[in-house]
Amino acid sequence: MIELKQVTKQYGKTTVLKNITLSIDEPGIYCLLGRNGAGKTTLLKSIAGYQNITNGTIQVDGKTITTSTLNTGVSYIENFAKHFNLPVRKLLRIASEVNSNYDFDFALEMMERFELDGKKKYHHLSLGMKTMVSTIICLASNKEVILLDEPVLGFDAITRVEFYDMLTESFQKHPRIIIVSTHIIEEITKTIQKLIIMDKGSICFFDTLQSVETKAFCISGLQKEVAAATQNRNIIGQDTVGGLVTSYIFDTPPEQTASLDIHPLSLQEFFIQMVGHKGGAKR
Amino acid sequence: MTAHFAIVKRLLASNQISFIITVLVVLCATSSGDVVLSNGNFTWLLAALTPFFFVFYDFTKFMHLGASKKDYYFGCLISYGILAFCISLVNAVIHQWMDPAYSAQTVINLMDVCQWTENGMIVAGLQQMFFLLLGMVFLHVLLSMQTHWYGWLTDAVLVAILCIFTPIAPLRAILIGFFQIIMFNSNAVLHILICLLLSAALSFGGLVVLKRKTL
Repeated sequence: MIELKQVTKQYGKTTVLKNITLSIDEPGIYCLLGRNGAGKTTLLKSIAGYQNITNGTIQVDGKTITTSTLNTGVSYIENFAKHFNLPVRKLLRIASEVNSNYDFDFALEMMERFELDGKKKYHHLSLGMKTMVSTIICLASNKEVILLDEPVLGFDAITRVEFYDMLTESFQKHPRIIIVSTHIIEEITKTIQKLIIMDKGSICFFDTLQSVETKAFCISGLQKEVAAATQNRNIIGQDTVGGLVTSYIFDTPPEQTASLDIHPLSLQEFFIQMVGHKGGAKR
Repeated sequence: MTAHFAIVKRLLASNQISFIITVLVVLCATSSGDVVLSNGNFTWLLAALTPFFFVFYDFTKFMHLGASKKDYYFGCLISYGILAFCISLVNAVIHQWMDPAYSAQTVINLMDVCQWTENGMIVAGLQQMFFLLLGMVFLHVLLSMQTHWYGWLTDAVLVAILCIFTPIAPLRAILIGFFQIIMFNSNAVLHILICLLLSAALSFGGLVVLKRKTL
């Protein structure tokens, strides 16, 4: 269980995390979305105890997390993680030796499935392969909280699909909290259960994917009719082209009429509406 | 224990550059004249180089492999102990069997300079081992602090102590007294106890520094 209470993180005068309160109680695969600079990496690093927060508290399974926590029970992997320049197989073996809970068999299985050459040294791997090694080490760690920061960076389309399968298999084998930060939104929808959207250092959405599917809609039509249909509904965005208006809502959809075009939003469209800014102002 | 052993193994294996530099210097160093330096002295170079690799090269990599900070730190301390023993053994062997082979009248080995050999070679070796352990732990803690403001402050304080205490006679006496206790000490029991005590205190300090270390 992860519990964040009024978490604020400042770098000098810049506030990167703004008073975040969040509670993740159930095991599941959570997707963390946000624009560049939204604070995703800072949030994940803080949960992992890689850095201290300025204010608030972070607890994982009741244990307060700071850099002082010598054993956090959290496994975090970032892009360009540094590893010893050793053959992949040896690297995975060392990871199993330094962590008693490590699932070495799973790591080897994944190494073979992703066609990683076990004899090839880490520095000789491509960016995608390096990321894959880091991700395998993280998932095989069997810790109760797994944080993957942009794990599909450098992956080709086939590897990405394989990766999502691996994520699901790893979760089914050992249900725990897995948070995946990514920019490739649509692909991960089949894998995740819940969605966390960050914007400018705050959590602006935390709910199930199902709620997006049932509540996120786009309503287009004449201004007057759209305004009437969306009255008292939670409008998350609006576009106007000539006399036609498109409103984006996160609410129960209005009844379909001949003059209104109502269709559900894809996850990507929903995300854009939640965090979309033009020239610094929210749309 | 498996984690500690694995970390020690990896720390020592990834310390190849320090080993190579030390071996090269020990083998290649030459001096001439009536008074020459023992090549065994240069084995101390390994003790000076190792903490740099443990702190700046290995830490991040172990964290990314999923090791805990605690295991990493204990691994480092055990490795320093092993290295201190090995360096001491090699220097003692060189001093005992190779230094007499010099044609020079006087061969200076730091074990003599520090008056440890007055207690016999085995005790001298032990004194050297605990002194080297203290030196490595001190360097580890000092290097670990360098990414924080208090690391730079400690550097400045150490330099200031040396600069201020050296020219002023009463203060110089204190400085000399300190080094006589931790280094130039023929009283083996006192010397070993002081080195162990300071190593323990510094190790505790190192743990505090490690707890503040970010990634």
